[in-house]
This record gives sequence, structure tokens and C-alpha cells, in this order.
Amino acid sequence: MSGTKQLPVILVIVEDSDEDFDTVSEAVKRSGVAVEVQRATTGGGGLTLLRELALDRPVLVLMDLNTPGIDGREALAVVKADPALKAIPVVVFSTSANPKDVGFCYAAGANAYHVKPVRYPDHLQLVIDLVGYWFGRVVLPAVGGTTS
Amino acid sequence: MNSIPSDLPLPPWEGQPYSVKRHGVTLDNCDSEPVQTPGCVLAHGALLVLRPTDLTILQASENTDRLLGHPADTLLNEPVRAAIGSDAEASLKAFLATEPTDRNPLYVLTLPARGDVPPLDVTVHTVDGVAVVEFEATGRTGAAEPDYYALVKKTVARLQTANTLQEFCDLTADEFRTLTGLDRVMIYKFHADGHGEVFAESKRADLDPWLGLHYPAEDIPQPARELFKQVWVRPLPDVSGDLAELVPLANPDTGRPLTMTYCALRGASVMYTEYLKNMTVTAALTLAIRSGGQLWGFINGHHYAGPKYVPYQVRAACEFLAQVVSLQHQAAEDREHLVYRLKLDGTHQQLVAQAAQDGGLATMTDGPLTLLDGIAAGGAALYHLDRWWRVGKTPSETELEALGEWLNDRPEFASPTRPLYATHSLARNYPPAAAFAGVASGLLATPLSRTNRNLMLWFRPETIHTVNWGGNPHDKPTVLGPNGPRLSPRRSFELFQESVRGRSLPWLTVELDAAARLRMLVMELVVSRAERLADLNADLTRSNDELDAFAYVASHDLKEPLRGIHKYAHQLLEDAAVAGEENRKKLDGLMRLTVRMDSLLDSLLYFSRVGRAALLTEDTDLNEVVAEAVEMIEARRTEGPPEIFVPRPLPHARCDRVRCREIFVNLLSNALKYNDKPQKRVEVGFITPAESHPRPGCPDGSAGDTVYYVKDNGIGIPARHFEQVFKMFKRLHGRDEFGGGTGAGLTIVQKLVERHHGRVWLDSTLGAGTAFYFTLSCRDGT
Repeated sequence: MSGTKQLPVILVIVEDSDEDFDTVSEAVKRSGVAVEVQRATTGGGGLTLLRELALDRPVLVLMDLNTPGIDGREALAVVKADPALKAIPVVVFSTSANPKDVGFCYAAGANAYHVKPVRYPDHLQLVIDLVGYWFGRVVLPAVGGTTS
Repeated sequence: MNSIPSDLPLPPWEGQPYSVKRHGVTLDNCDSEPVQTPGCVLAHGALLVLRPTDLTILQASENTDRLLGHPADTLLNEPVRAAIGSDAEASLKAFLATEPTDRNPLYVLTLPARGDVPPLDVTVHTVDGVAVVEFEATGRTGAAEPDYYALVKKTVARLQTANTLQEFCDLTADEFRTLTGLDRVMIYKFHADGHGEVFAESKRADLDPWLGLHYPAEDIPQPARELFKQVWVRPLPDVSGDLAELVPLANPDTGRPLTMTYCALRGASVMYTEYLKNMTVTAALTLAIRSGGQLWGFINGHHYAGPKYVPYQVRAACEFLAQVVSLQHQAAEDREHLVYRLKLDGTHQQLVAQAAQDGGLATMTDGPLTLLDGIAAGGAALYHLDRWWRVGKTPSETELEALGEWLNDRPEFASPTRPLYATHSLARNYPPAAAFAGVASGLLATPLSRTNRNLMLWFRPETIHTVNWGGNPHDKPTVLGPNGPRLSPRRSFELFQESVRGRSLPWLTVELDAAARLRMLVMELVVSRAERLADLNADLTRSNDELDAFAYVASHDLKEPLRGIHKYAHQLLEDAAVAGEENRKKLDGLMRLTVRMDSLLDSLLYFSRVGRAALLTEDTDLNEVVAEAVEMIEARRTEGPPEIFVPRPLPHARCDRVRCREIFVNLLSNALKYNDKPQKRVEVGFITPAESHPRPGCPDGSAGDTVYYVKDNGIGIPARHFEQVFKMFKRLHGRDEFGGGTGAGLTIVQKLVERHHGRVWLDSTLGAGTAFYFTLSCRDGT
């Protein structure tokens, strides 16, 4: 890294609900972390986004499961099967607490699974915690063609 | 060439042609008596044996002098015209050339009277390469010949009106007596074991009735039975009449005795004539009744007033009638059985329909209509679904168990088309049956499947029935004769009564057929049920998939907007621009409702999963399960630790540990939640089936199970709500009283208990407390 200017980390959000996206954006803002938010409303859109990104900064994917078109499950599986993408952490963020979904996602390689709370303050706080944790506490993989 | 080994006793006629007149029979050899070659004719008629090619007389009966006017020895080697004249010889020659006389005696002509010799009927047949000519008095007195054709036609028409076998045989006996003028005509019917019974009788009014009398099988020796498979009629016009021997005894061309099977004049066995004499019979006429190649019985004519000559023409009519009777008695019996058969089939079809509608074969023993409404029986039993189903009087289950084992190895059951076992004296084949002969001397059994060893059985009780024997059948008196022990045919025909034990009424063919058909119907039903079950399973899989899809909709698609609503309400509330206490309260309410909706959806989801996920049953220490449940409840509660009291250690149970903990968590938390006492007290315990402890409200089906209970000193539940508390989302109290809740807890408990094949119920006193009881009846593999 050059160390001259810290580029904001990228948070790719796959989310078809505007309300939920809004909540995440609000939480990111409140977290105080420098995050560049990119949104796709379908799993397929999320994949396109990831492939087009210049992977020169840490990336985290927040994946909703039930999206129109190619859904979150399928997109997760594709990411984790793609050698160029599979190092990117994918955090599933779903309404479903169904053990089948939980089991499927971890088996497909999800890095975490969270259930969206109905209470707005809880929801907000969960995303703030997530951003703080993944971009503050966790060591993310070195990405892109860094030569240093 | 060696003959018979010398250590075997030789019959006295060994090495020379047999003559009944010279040799008779003994007890040792009566069953080997050469009845077909007796070497003698009845002396009222005469017989000539001719070489068919040139009609030369080879043998003649020794009485030709009296009937034909020439001594036998003068006729030998002469052409037949020497005995009957040229005209008759020409007729005989033409007749033999054109008519089917082989083993078939036919009437040729009548020789006119000569001096004191009456007119003679001449019949001829060929056998073993010779022509046999028989001469008998015509019996005509000069009156007009009766029209036998018309008589027989009338008789046949009458027989066809009979509706039962009995009626048919009664008519047959009457018609034969009218036709022949004999004193007594009986229809003698063979039973399966070879003994016979007088089944119908027509007699002179003054004679003792023999109807219903039984006679042992030995009364009619095997050679005689064989004979009647070949000839229809056997006359014996004078029991005390003389015999006339053939001269010579053997055919000079072949050295062989004459086969007299088809001769009307065949000399009778001494056995037979003595037997008849002992019954004071003076003349007899016997006709065969056959059924499918077997001898079914006889039409037996007896005369008591001296000789009775039944002339050839009448015998021919009788023979024709005997053939008609042979063909028609089966039809009469069939008509008799038809009504019964229709009744059985109707009943059996209803039984199967009932089983199809009311869910199972067991209804054939406990439904409104049972197996006993069909085939006449004292009891019936089914082995089905690994247990016995009994109706009426049957052996005990232990006895049935052993009988079933024995039956399944019976060779009869190996038949692919008609696996039936039927007996009317079971103990003879299966000695243990003697213990229950009273209820099951008769057994009719059929397997319902090969793999599951399922059975259908009918039982008939022992009928200690009385057989009226014509004389003692066990008495076979012998006397020592010149040739060794002589069979002396029974002298006494006094009524001899014998009780037969260990036997039931026999099973009719109609009943066996009906059982076989019922078996097919039942097997079709079983197969169709299996098919329906497969369809239902497919449906169930489909609905489970649909339920999964629905649950998903509930969890995701309904929750997402709920979250949005909550969020907007929250944001509005935070917005300072929304003024007024009233509005803020409404927004609070809006948010509270969304949260409640969320927990309702969660309960619904959980409930749908509880019903379908597979159980992991294992031997589980319930003390550990309750301890874990208590721990989970305490973690949720803010108050001080409640008093949960386990008076004695709980047993182990076969259950799914996690689900069972869920049951206790729900019951314990309810016990604590609905409790207004300052000192909340909950007791967890059990009652084994052996204990006399009261089990209030225990369902009948759970009497044999250990009952677990969770008892509190809480607010109690009114009796009218005992059922309702288990209903989904049913709450008895206001939403916010007693800490709120979705009202799904007891529904889930009930579901979990049912998944363990158990029952849950409660007992409660308002204000004093409630006890919830449940059972866990899981077995291995369920």
C-alpha cells in the first residue's frame, strides 16, 4: 500500500427492499467507518458488480437471500465457487431463520449469517455492529494485484 | 417262466380257469375274486361263445339242453345255426357286421316259443375277440308291449322339475319302482370315506324303511365298484337261482376264460348272493350312478317275494334312465347349492365393501356384518396386522397361534390358485386340536398373503352325531370253510347306532368355493388399499412441499413489509416534527403491533416445523431433560428462582431429547407464568401404570403408559376451556396479562407429545392450580 491516501472500503449490498437498504445505509453512516456502499437489487446484479470492481480495496458483501432473479443463495454459491471471488467475505443478512437456509449458506461458504430483526433500532444496531466488526476488528484478505 | 413265488398263499383256482360254482371265495381273497371271469351264468338264461369269423360255437353254458334243446357238448365246434336255426344265424351274422356291438350288448331278435320253452330274447356283444350270445325269456305274457320310450320320456321330464338333490333322488326311486315292479328301490349314495347311505327310498308299504341307514365300505368290495364303472346295469333275478358253468371253462382257441363283464347273465359272486340272502332279498337289480367317471352311488332294487325277472327291454329302459340320472343328479345338487352360493357371495361382497369403507379387514370380525353371516360356522378368526381378530366361538389366541404355525406349512397352502385347507375332523390331522374339539372340530382355512402369514379361518363345533348303521359295521364274522376262513357276509342287519366324536358337519363344495372367492376379493382389497396408500403418500409429500413453500412465504415475504412499517413508525416517532402526545401513542401502538405480528409468525413457523421434522428417539434420562428445561426458563426470567419440585427421580424414557425438553420448557413456563401466588410452586413427577395413584382424565388408550405431569399452584383453568387451551393462538387472558405470549405454547406441546405417540390432557381447579399430564409411547423404529 502506498499509505498516501486511505481509500474507503467497499460494502456491496445485495438487497431488493428499499427500506432495508435505507436502514443499512443509515447504519453505515452512523458507524463512522469510511465505507463506499454499492448496491445491487438482485443476486445476479451483485455478481456483475463484484466482477466489475477494481479489487484494490477490502470488500465485504452483505447478501439478502430472497431477491428477484438469481437469488442470494445462488449468487453466494457462484462467488464461493469462483477462484477470483471466493476470498471475499460474504455475510448473509436475511429475514429467514429457517435452519435449512442457515445450513445451506454455511455449507455454500458464507462467512456469517444474520437474521434481520423486525425492530428498527435492533436492525440498525446490528448493521452498525457488523460494519464495526468486519471493517474494524477483522483482518480482511489482501486483495487485487497488490505487489507490496 | 416262474409263476408266483411259493411263499405266497395261492388262490384255490390258481393254475386253472376260475368257476364261482366250484371255487367260491374266502375272506383272504374276496378282494381279488375274479368277478369279471366267473366261468358261470345265471341258470335262468343260456350263453354261447362264438368265433366271430365263422360263428362256430366255442363255449356253451351247461344248461343249453333245457333252453335251446341241445346239450352243450353236442354244440361245441358246430356252427351257431345248430342251436338257433339258419334264419336266426343269418340275422345274427348281418347284425354283427353292421351294429356297434363291441362291449355293448344289443338286442338282435326273439326266438319263438318251442314246446314248453318260452320265447327267448337274444342279445349279442363282442369282447376279447369272441362274440357272446345270451338267451333270456322275454317275460312277455302276450299283453301289448308297454311303450317304454313314452314311459322314459315322462320320467325324465319329471326328474327335471326337482329343485333339490333329495327331491330328485326321491323321484328317481319312485320312477324306478314303477318301471320295474320291484318291492324296494333305494338310492344308495357313497360318502367320501367309501361307506354308503340309503339316501332315498321307495318301498312296498309293509316293508321296514331303510332310509338313512349307513353301510360300511366293505359291504361293496373294490372289484364290484370297478365293475360298475364299466356297466350300467346288473340284474340278479333269483338270488337262490342255480349257476350254469361254461363248457369248456376256457376258450379252446386262446386258453383264456371268458370276460363276462358285459354279460347280463354273469354268474354272481357267492359273497353277493349270501349278503342278499341274509337280508332276505330274493331278487335284485342294481344300476350305477356315476359322476365324472367316478361311482357316485347305486340305484338298488330289492325284491322279497321270490324271483323277479326284469326283462331285457325294461332293463334297457332302466339303463337309459340311470344314464340320465348320472347326468342330472349333479344339476339337481347344483340347483340346491345355487341359492346358498348366491347368499354367500352376496354376504361376502358386503363384507368386503364394509371393510373397504370402514377401514380394514378387522371389521369382518367386529363390524355390523361378520364372517359368521356368510359360511355357516360357529366361529371365525383373522390373522391380520400381526394379531388375531376373532368372532363367535374360536380356540384361544395361544391355540390359534400354534394352529396358524401348523397351517402355514400345509401343502394345501402351496397351491397357487386355490390355497384352501378344509377338514371336518381337525384332530385327526392335528392332534392338539383335540383340546378344542368342542369349538373347532371343523376347520376351513385360507391364507390371505404368502409373506405376512395372514390367515382367514372358519370353525365348526363338534357334532356328536349318530350314525344309524344297517348292522354292526365293525363286526365281520368269519367261519372256517373247506378252503380256509370263509367270509360270511353279515347276518344281522339290525339297526346299529354309533356315536361319532371329534367331527363337525362337513364343508360343502359351495362353501369352499365361496371361501376361495372371498380370499380373492380380500386380496384385491388389500392390493387396492396399498395403491391408495401410495397415492396418499404422494399427496402428502406434495402438501408437505406446499407447506414448506407457505412457511417460507410467512417467514420472509410477510416479515419484510412488517419490518418496513416498524421502521417508518420509528422514524416518525424520532422526527421532532411529529407533534402531539396522541400521535406519538398511535405510533407506539403501530410498532407494538408489528412486533407482535412478528412473534406470531415465528410461532406459526416453529409449529409447522415441529410437525414434520424427524424425531431422534433414544433412551433419555428425563431428570437431565427437566434440569436443562429449568435452566432455560431461569435464563429468561427476571424474578428470583422459582421453586420447582421433583418428589422422586424421574425414569428414563424413549424420546427425542430436544423435543421433550421443549415440552417441559413450555409446561414449566406456563406453570410459572399463569401464577399469582406469592410463593410459586411447580411439581414435576410421574405415575407408572402399576401404581394406583389417580390419573384424572386419563384417556382409555393410555392406561398402559407411564404418565408424566407438571403441576402448579397457579390460577387454574375453568373446565370448559380444557380443550380450547390446546388450540393455536387461543389465549384465555388479555394480551398483556401474565406476561403476554402468542398462545402457541400448548399447541406445540400437544404436537410434540403426539409426535411421540402420546397423549396430553389436564386437570385443574380454578384458583388452586393446574396439572398437565402427558404420555410418551415411542417404540423403537416409530
